[in-house]
Amino acid sequence: MSNHTTADRHPGDEAEAGHLPWAGQAYSVKRFGVTITNCDTEPVQTPGCIQGHGALLVLNRSDLCVAQASENSDALLGRAAVALLGQPVSLVLGAQEEASLRRLLGRDDCEHNPRYLCTLPAHDSVPALDVSVHTVDGVVVVEFEATGRSQPRPEPASWDPIGRVQHSVARLQKADTLQALGDIATAEIRSLTGLDRVMVYRFHADGHGEVVAESRRDDLAPWLGMHYPAQDIPEPAREVFRRVWIRPMREVGAPLAELVPLAHPDTGRPLTMTHCALRGPSVMYTEYLQNMGVTAGLTLAIRRGDQLWGLIAGHHYSGPHDMSFEMRAACELLAVVVSLQHRAAQEREELVYRLQLDNVLQQLVTQAAHEGGLSALLDGPPTLLDAMAAGGAALLHRDSWTRAGAVPPEPELQALGAWLANRPELIDVERPIFVTDALAREYPPAAAWAGCGGGLMAIALSRTLGDMVLWFRPETLQTVRWGGNPDDKPRVPGPHGMRLTPRRSFELFVDSVRGRSLPWKSVEVDAAVRFRAILMELVVSRAAQLASLNTDLARSNDDLDAFAYVASHDLKEPLRGIYKYAHQMATDAAERNDPDRERLAGLLRLALRMDSLLDSLLHFSRVGRVALLLEPVDVNEVVAEAIEMVDGRRRDKPAEIVVPVRLPVVQADRVRLREVFVNLLSNALKYNDSPITQVEIGCTVAGPQAPTGDGSPPGVTFFVRDNGIGIHPRHVDQVFKMFKRLHGRDEFGGGTGAGLTIVRKLVERHGGDVWFESTFGQGSTFFFTIPRVPAAKSNAA
Amino acid sequence: MLHDAMTHVVLVEDSDEDADTAEEALRRTLLPARMQRVISGEACLALLTGVPGLLPSLIVMDLGTPGLDGRDALREIRRDQRLSGVAVVVTSTSANPRDVDFCYQAGVNAYHVKPVNHLEHLDAMTAMFEYWLRRVELPMPQPCPR
Repeated sequence: MSNHTTADRHPGDEAEAGHLPWAGQAYSVKRFGVTITNCDTEPVQTPGCIQGHGALLVLNRSDLCVAQASENSDALLGRAAVALLGQPVSLVLGAQEEASLRRLLGRDDCEHNPRYLCTLPAHDSVPALDVSVHTVDGVVVVEFEATGRSQPRPEPASWDPIGRVQHSVARLQKADTLQALGDIATAEIRSLTGLDRVMVYRFHADGHGEVVAESRRDDLAPWLGMHYPAQDIPEPAREVFRRVWIRPMREVGAPLAELVPLAHPDTGRPLTMTHCALRGPSVMYTEYLQNMGVTAGLTLAIRRGDQLWGLIAGHHYSGPHDMSFEMRAACELLAVVVSLQHRAAQEREELVYRLQLDNVLQQLVTQAAHEGGLSALLDGPPTLLDAMAAGGAALLHRDSWTRAGAVPPEPELQALGAWLANRPELIDVERPIFVTDALAREYPPAAAWAGCGGGLMAIALSRTLGDMVLWFRPETLQTVRWGGNPDDKPRVPGPHGMRLTPRRSFELFVDSVRGRSLPWKSVEVDAAVRFRAILMELVVSRAAQLASLNTDLARSNDDLDAFAYVASHDLKEPLRGIYKYAHQMATDAAERNDPDRERLAGLLRLALRMDSLLDSLLHFSRVGRVALLLEPVDVNEVVAEAIEMVDGRRRDKPAEIVVPVRLPVVQADRVRLREVFVNLLSNALKYNDSPITQVEIGCTVAGPQAPTGDGSPPGVTFFVRDNGIGIHPRHVDQVFKMFKRLHGRDEFGGGTGAGLTIVRKLVERHGGDVWFESTFGQGSTFFFTIPRVPAAKSNAA
Repeated sequence: MLHDAMTHVVLVEDSDEDADTAEEALRRTLLPARMQRVISGEACLALLTGVPGLLPSLIVMDLGTPGLDGRDALREIRRDQRLSGVAVVVTSTSANPRDVDFCYQAGVNAYHVKPVNHLEHLDAMTAMFEYWLRRVELPMPQPCPR
């Protein structure tokens, strides 16, 4: 909010007045107005002058004699001001109305509250004058106003102020949003007063104003949606409207009538005209209206408690506009009703907005819950950006940024994220939220972000991970229509140069809103906090879910282990019995030379094969689950051991195993890696019908990419190449399948068919891939990779 | 004790075929040993604590017996201070390292895997009996605690 240093100024403040041109004497708009250079110093409540279409008398409370009179008393009241001073008011009102005045004052409700007293009939060249009375600072103020009527009361039958007001109030009560309230209020007041344009002008938190509702003559250009700098309604004027509901101006720029004398003869104080309908307008206000072509005006306050929420501003463009006391009273009443209805309408409106926000945020949370991650928040629709009236949104999750809309580039985001992470607001336990509508004032680098550096709202999702959600709101300058924007209007110099032209006020204003966004509504901030709470619940319940999944997984691993064990044990026990009986029968049959002995020998062979299948199954189930022991492993040693282990199996024919290059050291489980080489080597030796079996073991650091490669980090590719039988293209898909043998069970030395399945499992456990190239009849090369950073690193912890 | 000069062996084994193999293996050693077979862990514990006479010198126990599992029986036996002089050897179909580890931690004297191949099985059992009843000095049998 902009800082109005004069917010507390009161009329006649001597300390301040000492520095002003009228120092030491009472102020008069008429005399000193042109010397004003700063709106905020103008004593608008003690202008010393009234609008010239009426007259004003200041009476002493005790004897109702005239202490001050407006200088135009002669023309309107028939006696010169000086001639009235010290005289009883009955001289002007007559004895009967003086008695009425005494009765009115006796009721004691006139303090700061003008009451209608009577209408003096027209005579000679003087029009009929409405007389109203109020008291202030111990004096009685009597205002005489020419309202354009020629008849004293009663009013013409067509004018039924009570009926009009009842009708308007009934309509206002039906309004259920601020917008509807504003629309109805402007329409009713315009129809009541006959003004050309009536607007609801709302003050934003930073003091600038926006036209939020408008009723206008059809031929006028709409001002709805225009924003006006805070300086357009200076603080002294705002202060007036915290005290009075209504401020009429019959004719902009009409002659002013000064009080005679300017200050009260007894107290030396200027008259406080805050409550006077005739109060002389501020010179700034007059100029401002004139610059807009306004010829008459009416301003009403919209208050929330003692806060000034906005104004209802009426403009007339076609000459003076008379508004009778009753009409003004009706308008005042409507302003009061609008103010009373206002809170309810705003609360309803906020509730609707809040429900909208909550609805989107709820959808987002559901989305995140379904898709299992915070990143779903920007997958949409809807996205984080729909959840808030913002220009851009960004999510920091697991050290990576996801963005939508107008958001600074990623390096800038990273720096901002780091800065935010240390903000005390985001560390707050209850409400870890950081909200600003002027980011660059706290974080200067934001000044360089065109279009997104205005406002920021940030919520922390996880302190440990640094996860956060950011909403960016662009600068107000770029988002709203500015009244007075030099791009919208031609330069209009005022009567005092460029002092108060729209252009000038816009320039004044630009400095104050540069780098500022529209403020975040409390509804929005609350929604963000709630959103965070729901997300946190989701995250926490996810964690609980994961923990229970982990438990389940551990249990099912144990179950699997138990199953594999039971299977192997329980299947093997009968198998051992079968084997034993078959063995005994075969022994007997051999002694008797029984023809069944061949079949019994087959039975024995099958039982042994079943036994080795069960062993493989058990082994395979353990390979998948037993934790890897990762350590730096010299592959040269591992290969040497593997060659030694398979050595015994190649006695039937000559074989050369060569390792032409020096192999690297990798991070692996030594025993498992050796098992991989043993399996590949024994296959290479086994499936070979060349006269001399040749096997080469080697590696390529940047070697051929695995066809199944998924972008995993590059590692070392090892290979085992043979000149064996090769793999027929139609078997390519079968090679790694469990227990899938490509050859007769007794060809090439037999085997369970589990070797390559186990190889693949072991390599995958290291985070690598395994594949092969083969030419049928000429040989095969099996490749496998061991990544630099194994994916299974968690198992080593 | 004179009335019982034969070495007393208890076999805990629910499989008749395996029990038969064990008996054949013991016979092949030609040792003066008497083998008593029970088929469950409970029966084994009852035999050790409830029957008058001397404790066995050796218990040969299958790990996967019905009812009270071999693991539980093993744990019970080794928990009982009065049975500390009895050698316990486990024979099992399982080569699972977890089973092996468990048995040694529970205090077993030896762990043997029973092969499916009958001749290998018979040889393994024979060698086991040879070792424990001929090569090794076992403590003097104590009376059954009651």
